[in-house]
Amino acid sequence: MGDLLAPANTLEVLLGNEAVARGALEAGLNVAAAYPGTPSTEIGEALAKVAKRVGIYFEWSANEKVATEVAMGAAWSGLKALTMMKHVGFNVASDAIFTLAYAGVTGAMVIVSADDPHAHSSQNEQDNRHYSESVGLPMLEPSNPQEAKDLTKEAFELSSKYKIPVMVRTTTRISHQRGPVRLGEITAGFSKGKFVPPEPDRYLQVGAIARKHHAELLGKLKEISLDVAPSYAKVEGASDAEFGVITSGVAYAHAKEALKLVNVNAKILKLGMTFPLPEKDIGEFLSSVNTVLIVEELDPYLEMRVKAIAKDYAPEVEVLGKLTGHMPRVGEYTMRTVLEGLSKALGVVLPVNFAEIDRRSSEILKKVPPRPPVLCPACPHRSTGYALRRAAGRAAFMGDIGCYALLFQKPFRVEHVTHAMGSSIGLANGIDVATDQDVVALIGDSTFFHAGIPALINAVHNKRKMTVVIMDNRITAMTGHQPHPGTEVNAVGDEAPAIDIEKIVRSIGVDYVKVVDPYDHAATEKAIRDALKHDGVSVVITKRECALLTVARLRRQGQKIVPYRVNPDKCTYCRVCINTFACPAFVDTGSLVEIDPTVCFGCGACVPVCPYGAFEPQEGSLNWREQKIGV
Amino acid sequence: MSVRELNVIVAGVGGQGILFTTNVIARAALKLGLNFAQSEVHGLSQRYGSIRTELRIGSDVSSPLILEGTLDLLIALEPLEGLRQAPYISERTTVVMNNHVIPPVGAYLERFPIPSFDEILELMRRLNPKQIMVLNAYDIAKKAGDYIVANTVMLGAAQATGVLPFPEGVLREALEEVSPSRYRDLNLRAFDLGRESVSPPR
Ligand SMILES: Cc1ncc(C[n+]2csc(CCOP(=O)(O)OP(=O)(O)O)c2C)c(N)n1
Ligand code: SF4
Ligand code: SF4
Repeated sequence: MGDLLAPANTLEVLLGNEAVARGALEAGLNVAAAYPGTPSTEIGEALAKVAKRVGIYFEWSANEKVATEVAMGAAWSGLKALTMMKHVGFNVASDAIFTLAYAGVTGAMVIVSADDPHAHSSQNEQDNRHYSESVGLPMLEPSNPQEAKDLTKEAFELSSKYKIPVMVRTTTRISHQRGPVRLGEITAGFSKGKFVPPEPDRYLQVGAIARKHHAELLGKLKEISLDVAPSYAKVEGASDAEFGVITSGVAYAHAKEALKLVNVNAKILKLGMTFPLPEKDIGEFLSSVNTVLIVEELDPYLEMRVKAIAKDYAPEVEVLGKLTGHMPRVGEYTMRTVLEGLSKALGVVLPVNFAEIDRRSSEILKKVPPRPPVLCPACPHRSTGYALRRAAGRAAFMGDIGCYALLFQKPFRVEHVTHAMGSSIGLANGIDVATDQDVVALIGDSTFFHAGIPALINAVHNKRKMTVVIMDNRITAMTGHQPHPGTEVNAVGDEAPAIDIEKIVRSIGVDYVKVVDPYDHAATEKAIRDALKHDGVSVVITKRECALLTVARLRRQGQKIVPYRVNPDKCTYCRVCINTFACPAFVDTGSLVEIDPTVCFGCGACVPVCPYGAFEPQEGSLNWREQKIGV
Repeated sequence: MSVRELNVIVAGVGGQGILFTTNVIARAALKLGLNFAQSEVHGLSQRYGSIRTELRIGSDVSSPLILEGTLDLLIALEPLEGLRQAPYISERTTVVMNNHVIPPVGAYLERFPIPSFDEILELMRRLNPKQIMVLNAYDIAKKAGDYIVANTVMLGAAQATGVLPFPEGVLREALEEVSPSRYRDLNLRAFDLGRESVSPPR
């Protein structure tokens, strides 16, 4: 939304993620590669959009490890490289990253880890600050979009100087925060580098060489803790205060404002570099107060380290936080979290009566129906889920990660598991080994490329009996529609060779392979039934593009989206449609089912679901299946 | 111009253009050189999940998240989602609410009763907001040319409440800047109709 290329010295509204992208451009970025993942995705989207104009290289890679290696290759050729990932993406990339810390870089490399406290869009609340310490890479943590830009730029400078990659950690409320950002000069562009190892053994990590490089890395980190970390430690507030707060990231923003709301004489130590820590600065801060409250989301990362520092510098100081029960460890923080922590720590009177607010609003919220996430109207996954429920209702369903994960909900319930990307097929291997049950793995196209293929190879080689349903909607949908190796265009809109999933599957040696349009419910159901009877690994590919792509294209072409309607003379109010198909456009009036015209995309997928034929097109409605729209 | 703290929530369901609506207000704040912090969560569904953005404008603001009970303006593109903001609503809140209920289909499967719009309005009144403006944003949007601009209708109505600290015209200019060219005229028509639906045309 913000203009990523707005001129220097202007103020622009940037999303935290856009600010990271801009910071990289100002630092002279050459190459960036990533795999999408909320809340990191818009960094790549922003770079993809401007890559050609600025002259940088950007790709959406097959997964985070490959993306990291692409960036590494560039940083080993003397270029400035960036990769970014959601917190769990770091797990995938970590095998490459741990050893990269020993190897270092000849150019510069920044790795952005976008964590998701509260698991707003994730499978866990993993805290990647631990990674920076255990890998041994410095970590900067911005507390607003302006800092997201500035610290990314500075991360590149640090990386150039110390010849090791530098991490920037954001969290959802930084990544997805918009704010005014004062811009600097863009210096990015592409030039060819040269791969020349600075020493013959620089990139050969084994035994004694690895130990030598490990020692070197520790030396650099020591230097950074003394020379750099202190410049990111900022003290603010009343210098005579006996109460202090140590904080970083967005927690700082909440703490700063919360302290203004209560009448406490306090000072704040804000840490912009959370690894390595500026030990002396923390020690001096501790010596200047009696009590300190650590305000940080997720794990007591700072708290434990501050406690250790306190032993040396200020053994008398009281360190309060999660370990003492003053602050929560689960979920994200808000001003309220900080205020409640302050009230527990100091007994201050709060400016807001939370108990009263909770009482009043819970009365109201009891009457508000929950609105869990749903598949879009016209989503092809709904049709696949409908067919699976009918054809394989008793199977053990190993789901995966993507929009189709929502099929775990009623009325489909065809996912007993959603775990980590690619786990569906791997788990199906294990369940088949361990049981006599029918096993179905459900996986999306992007996820299949990311981590599904090795598990499928494993299944064939080890003679498993299982059915894999690959839901090929021609895009990485859940993260906002990024291309992947199976799409005909790449990240910057150029034509690209589309890797054919069916050919991959056949080449692995799967001998039952069926490709169907999921809107053809009867054919899909039959393909799944037959697959389950097959003795060995069977694969059904349900192929139809994501409905949002279809709708966007129809709108671009100037086609009107005309909704379907329910013929009130035919609807018997049997509710079969709601109970088995549950398109969000369905409205139950209490005596009839209707279609909300503001919600319906006019796809016609519901037509075969009604036993009485009540779903009808209106003048101008399309029928996506019959007219082959979206396949 | 000085504003110390003004808190806005735009709530509705995915696909109603909540982000766009909030971005326009943020753009207006930028044009006036005001400090602000806007927060959004992308959630797990692309469409028809419950969505809200928070926008905080003013010199005192550093947190991107609103404190319970301190909301100044609620723009509810979908009334159930408006009601879901109950912990933030207080005597200082002005509510601008679309009257078109989009029932969550999951509620039918759980047999959770879905309140009618009148019941929603009654529940909203119990939270004692400063004022409540109701409009039929979809009908007005259709008059402007397409129901997809219901969000801009709501924005026009929000401007007419006078809660936003922007001089006449700034929000409309921001809308003009942020709109994709294909939708610019449609959006401006919808904005004007929304504004007139709350205050008589001048
Ligand atoms: C390791 C890891 N990387 C990235 C993500 C973020 N993520 C969640 S779903 C998804 C895309 C799934 O795409 P696809 O399999 O094609 O399914 P679709 O959403 O298109 O139905 C991604 C990238 C993640 N959860 N874990
Ligand atoms: S974004 Fe596409 S794949 Fe995801 S739920 Fe919507 S229609 Fe389905
Ligand atoms: S035509 Fe039917 S299935 Fe398609 S969006 Fe409309 S109500 Fe839903």
